[in-house]
Amino acid sequence: MDELDLLKKAWKKDTHSFEQVTETEIYKMLHKKSSSIVKWILIISVLEFAVWAGVNLLFNTDDAIQKLHAENFSIYLKILTYINYAVVIWFIYSFYRNYAKISTITSTKQLMQDILKTRKTVQYYVWYNLSMIFVSTILGFIMAFVYNPKMDALKYKISHENGYETITITVCIILAITVLFVGLFWLIYRLLYGILLRKLHANYKELKKIDL
Amino acid sequence: MSDQLEQSFVKQLKENQNIIHKICRLYTNGEDAHNDLFQEITIQLWRAFPKFRGESKFSTWAYRVALNTAITLYRRNTRTIATVTYEGQKHFLSQEDYNHEEEEQIKLMYQAVQQLNDIEKALVFLYLEDKDYTEISETLGISEVNARVKMNRIKGKLKKILNP
Repeated sequence: MDELDLLKKAWKKDTHSFEQVTETEIYKMLHKKSSSIVKWILIISVLEFAVWAGVNLLFNTDDAIQKLHAENFSIYLKILTYINYAVVIWFIYSFYRNYAKISTITSTKQLMQDILKTRKTVQYYVWYNLSMIFVSTILGFIMAFVYNPKMDALKYKISHENGYETITITVCIILAITVLFVGLFWLIYRLLYGILLRKLHANYKELKKIDL
Repeated sequence: MSDQLEQSFVKQLKENQNIIHKICRLYTNGEDAHNDLFQEITIQLWRAFPKFRGESKFSTWAYRVALNTAITLYRRNTRTIATVTYEGQKHFLSQEDYNHEEEEQIKLMYQAVQQLNDIEKALVFLYLEDKDYTEISETLGISEVNARVKMNRIKGKLKKILNP
């Protein structure tokens, strides 16, 4: 006889072996807070949306433009800002839609996919913000290069002295800062979601392996 | 109205609590963790309860939510350490029905099941609950054929653990 069938026999008889929970205890449980990963994902995601919205508000580009007398840039920046708002709203909407879809009454695989998809939305949102910062930095640099009188020395250096070397160094510095920045975020993400989702990832992989 | 819903839920949960206890025992390795998971499953069941239309039995409906909670939503690491034997196991058998040898074998069997991973445990749980492969495949979201294949592999794995 199969070992598992032996266990099955015992399993069925096993109805009175647990300490029974009373109705009062169940009532109490209903009003306790959940500690599920979905709740944590929601909390962290809302924080992320808030932090990046804050960052966007803090960077007031109008002042900088006025200081530099780069008004003909300002129309492009305005367009960019509105596009940015639209994109952020779209992110929040799709996050909400994915979040609302998470349900414990779907299949295990579907549930895992829905959770991962919800989290991915936030991840894309953060990468979007990072790349916007990167683009803004380059734009800012170009603007400064064109309009800021302090850059004249650098321009002079490029056109009269060792131009190739100066450009290389400038580009290298920008690249290094970018890599550092992105690397830092990547690390935070690995840690934060790594801890939160390690189990889910492992189980999801296992499920997919079965269905190969 | 909502009081009525709550009452009906609490009553049905109380009657069917052994299902949840069984899942908790498979997925946790101590009393605290057992109670913690039990509570989380209760919360998730309650949240999903408005969607329970009574088309299936409460117990059948509860399997899915409870397993999903244990496998996916529950945050603590539920992987059991193979050497730790869960206290509740002692009460696993109704003594009069088994001879000593069989009892020992079931105990070992139980320890072997605890060494499986979360997904394998879910398959074993549903199998022990006498679910057919259609229901197992629907619950986990895998194909019926693959559920069957996997179940056979698990049986092999258990054999290996028991007879190294």
